[in-house]
Amino acid sequence: MAIYSVGRKRVILALLLTTALLVTLDLRGNPVIDAGREGFAQVMRPVETATGVVTNPIERLWHGITNYDNVQRENLVLQEQLDRLIGTGAAAEAAVIEGKELQALYSLPSLSGIDTEVARVVGYSANNLDQVIEIDKGSTSGIEVGMAVVNQAGLVGKITQVTRSSARVMLVTDGRYKVAVKVTSASVADEAAPTNTSPSGLSPSEVANGGTTTTTTTTTSVPALPGPIVPGVTLPDGSPVPDTTLPGTALGPDGEPVLDPLTGRPLTAEQITGLAVLAAQQPSTTTPTIGSTGTSAATPGGATTTTTTTTTTVPAVIDKEYGVLEGRGRLRLPQIGLLQDSPSLSELVAGDLVETAGGSESLAPTGIPVGRVINRADRPGSRGPLLDVELYADLARLNFVRVVLYKPLSEVDQ
Amino acid sequence: MFASFVQGPLVRVIPLGLILLALQRTIFVEIQVGGVIIQLVMAMAAAAGVAGGSERGAIVGFTLGVMFDLAEGTPLGSTAIAMTIAGAVGGLLALIAADPHWWLEAMFTALGTAAGVAMIPLVRAFIGESEPFQTQLGVVVGVVAIAAAVMSPVLVPLGRWCLRMRRAEWKQPVGEANP
Repeated sequence: MAIYSVGRKRVILALLLTTALLVTLDLRGNPVIDAGREGFAQVMRPVETATGVVTNPIERLWHGITNYDNVQRENLVLQEQLDRLIGTGAAAEAAVIEGKELQALYSLPSLSGIDTEVARVVGYSANNLDQVIEIDKGSTSGIEVGMAVVNQAGLVGKITQVTRSSARVMLVTDGRYKVAVKVTSASVADEAAPTNTSPSGLSPSEVANGGTTTTTTTTTSVPALPGPIVPGVTLPDGSPVPDTTLPGTALGPDGEPVLDPLTGRPLTAEQITGLAVLAAQQPSTTTPTIGSTGTSAATPGGATTTTTTTTTTVPAVIDKEYGVLEGRGRLRLPQIGLLQDSPSLSELVAGDLVETAGGSESLAPTGIPVGRVINRADRPGSRGPLLDVELYADLARLNFVRVVLYKPLSEVDQ
Repeated sequence: MFASFVQGPLVRVIPLGLILLALQRTIFVEIQVGGVIIQLVMAMAAAAGVAGGSERGAIVGFTLGVMFDLAEGTPLGSTAIAMTIAGAVGGLLALIAADPHWWLEAMFTALGTAAGVAMIPLVRAFIGESEPFQTQLGVVVGVVAIAAAVMSPVLVPLGRWCLRMRRAEWKQPVGEANP
């Protein structure tokens, strides 16, 4: 039988003080503890692997008993989703390619230009507080603390600890996780989908609403034909593009270079041609709509003046709000707070799209899909609303993830 | 010193801890009850306390807690504090009965485990973590405690084995022997 005495109390007190000392040392960063941790991981790995093999049938039995009905129901839902996705997949793929081409033309940052490292998930957090997974790639694969982790569906988390051959990923649902995000109104995004339009390129509703249309005329002066022709590249009207227009900068009617309205950089004739070709390939859409016509006329000096008329329908202002997504622990949806309390917020509703905002100091690059808003809670005062976000990525079933080998600009400069 | 180590509890606690930790990180992550991960290692610490008293329980809890922190990457000592307390509480409660029945042992193990699980967010709050208290903490504590009670018939004897202890045997005094 256990007997209580003052001596026993001292032992317990000594142990508690030791743990407090260990916590202090570890939080301050101690190489000995880090080495001990790595060594312990090496010892644990074979034991864990063997245990995993032995317990695997029990796990399967448990899942078979507890999840059978759910899996059957889920299969039906997934089949329906798959049928729908097959239908829209081709169109979406084409849109993605066009989007990438446009981004490349405008030299905009995109995810396609960032390297990723595929890793296998080898462990989940074993306590009820932390939302952490372990992956089988580490610093030898170029992984560093802070890098974003994604899967095919969207954002998963960020790297918080790295060893040579493994790394820990804090999931988006962890209470300590925070990332800057932008919320885009889904209704506007839906409107951007191709719809039947009138021959003018405007939808009937736009015509009725008197959609804003601006027309810019760009005149490019080029030397007289005959000249070498760029093979396979034609203007929207079918006329070939003379090679002499490439790769120089296109000149306007005043002899000044044609500038990109967004970046202010001079556009090359190739870029103008590319935009025109893309616009010609694009099905008629309501917003934005770019219609191009090209006319050529011979001038008395023997030179040809190519006039390209670009009709652009100014799209409705897309409601975008920036905020901070915070995890809230197990079984709870992440939430977006710190949104500005501006009138446009009234547009933010369930179904809106959430993606990373990026920025020079953000650890995640811009444009990683995160999820959809499923609930909005208004708060009194000027604190702005809170948005509950349903994540695209299923964090309970992660097998393979991608580590985005991205460093924020602020760190790259250093 | 070496002899005391070999004869002490650690020589059995460490290998047992490795196995329990491996089980915790594999099967117990998968087998969740109501979305709550059952804390096998914490229950073992409390069970060791019930089997061997608060001092030994605290030592076992401390050892298992440090191993848990090393494996999980949590701040070293943060879970060890909680498990030390779980072992100590289990041991203190065991003082109530001289030779507790299995159901009393189960209850003590459950209460020790509950104390340990409830301590984790408290410790995290002390080390500066923002909002460590979850709204479903009550559910987590309840489920983990019940699971510990269910596992106690296995864990308490395991604790005794670790601590090289035997269940108390009550003998009739010689003078009161049967005529």
